[in-house]
Parts: sequence; C-alpha cells; structure tokens
Amino acid sequence: MKADSTGGNMGDKADVEISENPFEPYIEFLRQQLEDQDPIFLIGFIVALAVVVITCVFLKYFLTSKTVRSAVLLVGLCDSGKTLLFSRLLASKFKRTQTSITDSSAPYKAKNDRGSAWTLIDLPGHDSLRSLYLEKFKSGARAIVFVVDSAIFQKEVRDVAEFLYVLLTDNVISRNAPALVVACNKQDITMAKSAKLIQQQLEKEMNTLRVTHSAALSSQDGSVGGSVYLGKKGKDFEFGQLPLKVEFLECSARGNKGEEGDADIESLEKSLAKL
Amino acid sequence: MLDFFTIFSKGGIVLWCFQGAGVTESFTGPVNALIRSVILQERSGNNSYTHEALNLKYKLDNEFELIFVVGFQKILTLTYVDKFIDDVQLHFRDRYKNELEQKGPLKLIQNNFEFEDDFLMLLGDAEKSSKARSLGNMRTFVQSEKSQKTVKSMIETKGGEKVKEQGGKKNKNAKKEAPAAEPVKVDPAKAGQKTVENGDQGLTSEEIMQNREKLFRKRTAVPTEKPIKSPKPQKPREKQMRVWHNGGKSTTKDLDYSGRNGDGSSNGDQNPEAQRDPEMQLNSMKGDLLSVDCESSEEEEDEMEDEKEKGETVVVNQTIKTSSKKSGGFGGMFGMLKGLVGSKSLTREDMEPVLEKMKDHLIAKNVAADISSKLCDSVAIKLEGKVMGTFTTVASTVKQALQGSLVQILQPKRRVDILRDVMDAQSQRRPFVITFCGVNGVGKSTNLAKISFWLIENGFTVLIAACDTFRAGAVEQLRTHQRRLNSLHPPEQHGGRPVVQLYEKGYGKDAAGIAMEAIAYARNQTFDVVLVDTAGRMQDNTPLMTALAKLIAINMPDLVLFVGEALVGNEAVDQLVKFNQALADHSMSEKPRLIDGIVLTKFDTIDDKVGAAISMTYITGQPIVFVGTGQTYNDLRSLNARAVVSALMKA
Repeated sequence: MKADSTGGNMGDKADVEISENPFEPYIEFLRQQLEDQDPIFLIGFIVALAVVVITCVFLKYFLTSKTVRSAVLLVGLCDSGKTLLFSRLLASKFKRTQTSITDSSAPYKAKNDRGSAWTLIDLPGHDSLRSLYLEKFKSGARAIVFVVDSAIFQKEVRDVAEFLYVLLTDNVISRNAPALVVACNKQDITMAKSAKLIQQQLEKEMNTLRVTHSAALSSQDGSVGGSVYLGKKGKDFEFGQLPLKVEFLECSARGNKGEEGDADIESLEKSLAKL
Repeated sequence: MLDFFTIFSKGGIVLWCFQGAGVTESFTGPVNALIRSVILQERSGNNSYTHEALNLKYKLDNEFELIFVVGFQKILTLTYVDKFIDDVQLHFRDRYKNELEQKGPLKLIQNNFEFEDDFLMLLGDAEKSSKARSLGNMRTFVQSEKSQKTVKSMIETKGGEKVKEQGGKKNKNAKKEAPAAEPVKVDPAKAGQKTVENGDQGLTSEEIMQNREKLFRKRTAVPTEKPIKSPKPQKPREKQMRVWHNGGKSTTKDLDYSGRNGDGSSNGDQNPEAQRDPEMQLNSMKGDLLSVDCESSEEEEDEMEDEKEKGETVVVNQTIKTSSKKSGGFGGMFGMLKGLVGSKSLTREDMEPVLEKMKDHLIAKNVAADISSKLCDSVAIKLEGKVMGTFTTVASTVKQALQGSLVQILQPKRRVDILRDVMDAQSQRRPFVITFCGVNGVGKSTNLAKISFWLIENGFTVLIAACDTFRAGAVEQLRTHQRRLNSLHPPEQHGGRPVVQLYEKGYGKDAAGIAMEAIAYARNQTFDVVLVDTAGRMQDNTPLMTALAKLIAINMPDLVLFVGEALVGNEAVDQLVKFNQALADHSMSEKPRLIDGIVLTKFDTIDDKVGAAISMTYITGQPIVFVGTGQTYNDLRSLNARAVVSALMKA
C-alpha cells in the first residue's frame, strides 16, 4: 500500500517537473550561453544598441530642425534688377546681366552684430518660369524681397499687383508668414516713383484684384487658387492689415555714379540685417 | 565681322563680352529677345535666331550652365561661325575649369574673366581658315576631266556629222585660253587631238591643220562663234512630288520601314543592341501568357537601364573629343557604376532611346507630330552634357526635363485677367471688344454664350454682335441665348436695363460693317463688353480669311480669341498658322493684330489625351484663356497647367 502512495507521490512530482521542463531547458540554455560569452562582448552589444537608439533620436531632431527656413528670395517681374541686386549684395560688384533662366543661390552674411548667415536666392522673373521656381523655394523662405522697377511702374502696375497678389494669397506663404520687403529699385533714374507712391498705387490695385480674383473661373479639374482673403472685408485694402510684416524701401542697384560706383542699397542691407 | 559675342550663365550673370569695332548699340536687348523667344519657348532645335538686322547663333553648355551667343549682321554670310562657337566653348571651359566647377554664382560674380586675347586669337584663326577654304584655285582646262574625253563621245549625233566635232573642240580651246598663250595651247590641243585621233576615224593630221587654219580665219572674222552644242533631248515633265509644308520633315526615306525590319545583319555587328526594340525581352513569352496588369513603369525603367548599359559599350567604341567626358572610358562595367554614383554627363546617344519613347508617348496623347519632335530636340539640347546627380537614371532626368518644358510652355507669358481688363476699359468709358474666330463647328457660339453668362454674373453688361451672317439659324441661336440669359438675370435685379442685348442685321450683310456699328452702338449705350461672333471658316478658304482679317483690322478688338476644339490633332498646327498668317497679311498697319488667346473647347470629351493644348500654345505662344468643359452655361473653366502636364505625362 505504502509503495503505491509513494509511487503516486513520485508521479505528482514527475508531473510538476514535466510542466516546468519545456521552459527550463531554454532558459538554462540562454543562461549558459550568456555565461559562456566574454562579458566584454556583452557590453559591446549593449553599447551598440544604445548608439543606434541615440542616432535615431538625433536624426529625428535634426530632420525636424531642417525645416527651419533660412532662405531669402529675390522675386519680381522681368527686368526689375534682381540679378544685379544679387550681385551687389553678395560681392558689391557691378555685373552686366541678361534674363535669368535658372535660379542662383549663395550664402549671405548679414551685416549685423550677430553675423547671422542665410541663403540668398535669386529667382527668374519671366512669367513662364516664375511659378515653377516659386513652388520649389517658397516653403524654405524666411523673407521675401519683392523687387519693383520704380521707373516704369506706372505701365506695369497691374502686372506687379497681380504677382504680389498671387504671392500673398499662396497657402504656404500665408501660413509661414515670412517677412516681405518691397524694394523699389532703379531709383537712380530721374522719373522713378517713390516708395510711398508705389505703396498707395499697389493698395488701390490690390483692392480691385480681390474682387476679380475671387470671381475668376476655377480650373478645369475643380481646384480653385489660393483661397486666402487679403485684408479685412468691407474695408479698403491696406498692407498693414496683412498678418505678415510688409516694408517698403527705396534702393538702386546700379548706383548713382554709374557702373564703377557703389550701389545705393544701405536701406536694403539694414532691413536684411534685422531679420 | 562679328557684332558681339557674350558668355553668360543661366542665372543671368554676364561672364565676358566682346563688342565688335564700331558697334555702338548694346546687345542686351537682342540677347534678351533670343532668350525669351527661343530658349524659354522651347524652340532651341535650330540654333540660330534673327532679330531685326542681326543674326544670332547660340550654344548651350549644360554642364557648367553657360550660354554662348554670337551676333552678326544678317546680310553677311559667315561660314565659320558654327565651328567658331564650338572652339570658343572648348577653350573657355578648359581655361576656366576651376572657377566654373565650383557650384554657386559667387565665383562667377567675383571673377574677372580675361578672355580677350584668347578670343581674338581664335577669331583670327577662324577667319583665316574660312578664307583659305573659299579661294581654291580653279582647275585649268588641261586638268579637267573634259579634256580627257574624246569629242565624239560627248556629242549626240543625228545622222553623221563629223567635221563639226573637231571644230567645236578647237573652238573651245581657242576660247578658253588667251591667244598670247598659244604655244602652250598648241600642246594641249595636240594632246587633245591625239586622243581625238585615236577615237576618230579617218582624219589625218594634215586635214586637221587645214581645218584649224580655216577656223582661225573664221574666228578673226566672227568673234563670237558658239561651240556647237548637241541638242539636249527634252526631258518630259515629270510628276512633281507633293510637299506638305506643315506636315513635318519626314521624307520617304524616313517613312520606309522595309529595310529596318528585314535584315539586322546588314548593319554589321557594331550595334546589335541598339537595333533591338527596347520593349522586347527575349524568352519572356515562353509558357502561358501573362495577365494584363503585370506591366509597370518600373519594369520599363529597368529595361531602359539595360539599354543604357549596353549603349555605353557602343559609346566606348566611338571616339569622343571633349575633354570633360568622364564616362565610358573603361568599358561598360565602370560606366555602369559611374552612372549610378554620379559625375556622368549625358550624351545624345544616351538620350536617344528615351527621347524616342517620349516622342511616341506625346504623339499618342494627341500632340502634333511635328511639335513632339521639336520639343524632344529642344529637351535634348537643354540636357546635352549635363552632369547627372547620384542615383538618377537617364530616363528620369529626361522625363523631368520634359515635364518642366511642358509646364513652361503652358504657363501664360503675360498676365491673363479678363475681368481686370474689362474694368480698365470701363474706366476709360469704352467697351471691351472680344472677337471669336475659328473653323466650322468648334463651339464658338456656345462658348460665347458661356462667357457672356460669366461676365453677367460679375456685373457687366454685354452686347452680342451677330456677325455670322452666313450660317442658317445663327442669329436665332444667339437670340435664344440672349432671352435665356435675360431670364436668368432679370433686368430688375441689375438696375432696370437688360444685361444682354443682341445687335443683328439679319443674313447676307457684311460682317465687318455690322461689327463696327455694334461697337459704336455699345459706346453710345455704355455697354461694358462686346462679344463678336463670326462665321466658321476653313483656313484654306482665302476669300473668307480675307474677310475675317478685314473685320479684325478695321475694328481693332481688344482681344482676338481663336476657338479650337481639344479633339483636333495635327490639324491644329495648320489652322493656327494659316489664321495668323492671314491676319498678318491683310492688315494695313505695321503691327498687325494677331491671335491673342485660345479657347479650348470640348475638353470633357477627351480623357487624358490633352495634347492639343500643347500644340496650340507652342505654335502661337499665346495662352489658353478659357477651357470649355461641357454644353451648359456653367461649363467654363481656366487652364491649370500642372494638371494638364501630369495628365500628359501619365503612362
């Protein structure tokens, strides 16, 4: 009888042992492996894992910080003097220019105490290239310098206003709200209009454009252009009503003393330094 | 001889310029005109351009993003210019390689490129070589082939004339050489005669001398004696081959595909790979047929890469002169690796297969054939020599460049804002006149009604001038539109006067006169817009084209819109060219009014075969102002260039 009970006990024990057994050999195996290995190897493995994790964190940080906008765009109509202004700002040199067909970009050091450096980009002004290059560069824009030919402004006022309107109602630009500097170029010519006059004329024109553009036809696939409404409804348009900072200033890329002399761009440089 | 020579970067900075002696005008204007009309409108297939009195030739350097332009007077025909530009380009690149290789315009701005001496030297060389070539020495008669021939072999006898042959020969001798050089002449004559004797039967030398004396006597008496020419048999007038002027330049040789499909072995073993159809893969058709959706664009690109690699072995075999060529030097293997990692410049041969494919793709999308080939040429010139970035294939670069060019073509080159212009005209107290022209059945009257609906919705008053006095029911159609529009926008809501009125004078009258009266009426009654509807006419119908040109020249409308349907194919090119030509020819003024804009109609009937838009804008350079997408009043849209190009490039 007793032998039976012991046999039963033995059986129970055996059961318990069997249930733990499937995991036991694996855990034992692992433990043995770890003990067999050199501890240095173990430490190396853990360090590698840590490095990978830290790199991932850094990459994420850097990628997000890349979207910090650091470009200043030079835009404007054809023949308004953007490329010459570009050359003057970078190297204070006068260079003959032709119609640009691609963009040019170069790093620029601002003349202020901090010595901040950003990229100056000169975009082509020709109508067929304008939108292409604007699409490419508008998301990285920290400030936009809109160059206007003050001498023939009266004839071109509608085209200037149209471009400015498209710029201001663009979704990306109105979201990022970069600083806008309207540089009234070619002040060395005697018939050049002053910045104040240009501002008033543009405001009047933009007022009308608000109406015509909202009434414009939608494009054939149903999308409508920038649906941003400029200024306040019911009141005449003024640049002060815009969410982004607009500044009007006068400059002359050619300079009063002809090709050899300096350009009259101090005000432009000062406002660029404020960025 | 050259007026000027400039080298400037694509970003617009002039690196170096040269102005010929005595040339006072600045060249900035002509060069800007060249850039705007040729390079930006993708017409760079032909590398010369005429601007007023100047002929401009240019060359693009895509590796360093430079443009070389030379200008000279149109009346001069300088033969050395093409080669000269190539030489200057190579020289300039070699000399300033270091400065140019640095990316960024900073170096270009700061550097003073002193190229004057080299340029003058190259110019001197080019001029000398051209002079040396042109003044070749003329051969003397003795050296020419004619003296070697027998006279008998040259004439065609009509039944036995023997004597005249010799006379003729002697005459020719006497005429060609001066009498002072007689002793010299005698020998060649004798030499000639010897051959004559050989070929001739029965004339001894004595007889020859006698004949000669007779002739000399005759010569002194009669100074002019024509050598007897054998009468040429009159060639029967053959049927002239028909030449289609606007149908492209394909000759019968190009269209003859019989040879190419036949024997590939005839071309030798040089490029068996290039012969192979790029779409075919051997041994892919074994077994069961694959189902339809196995193909993808990636597979095609892989095939194209295979093509490109094999093409590189071909490139290795051919010698390439330019010093900056880095690819294909060590055989296909390294070329392929280099192609992946970058610093490989594109050549024509690399781009050929891709461009062919793109051209066929465009043609399949209803772009006119001539324009597709011109576009592909222009893209090839823009990309030739360009250094590709890392991990970019030839196919992707070419596709991107083509896409950029298409968007550029479709973007309007001037501001397009009809409402703003109408407001302008309103402030000047004159009506804004829009004229619609086009061939039969494109939708002029329907789209005129749609545009007037749009204008009414924006608060303008419209006068429709029914200048279609030919088609049955045209006036009634417009009257029905007028009634409908007035009922949609009743006069009570718009200040008591009807928003749309119709000005018509029935059928059979002169259209130009009706238009003039309509505009005067609109001015008196202070209408804002006048829409002039004309009859449809074929572009070949000269009297009707003259009538249309007269209407436009007399009335000077503010906007001349050409209405074209999107279904048209190669015809669009012909229509637009002939319409523009007619308007230009029959206008009295110096600056004729040409087509100012295009209305693209029946856009809803094409799914993505939108090529007609490209053909039309490429040919005229004018923007597409309206797009008609249906048959009701609301179906009027504006063009979205990006959407059209993406539909065009979609596979």
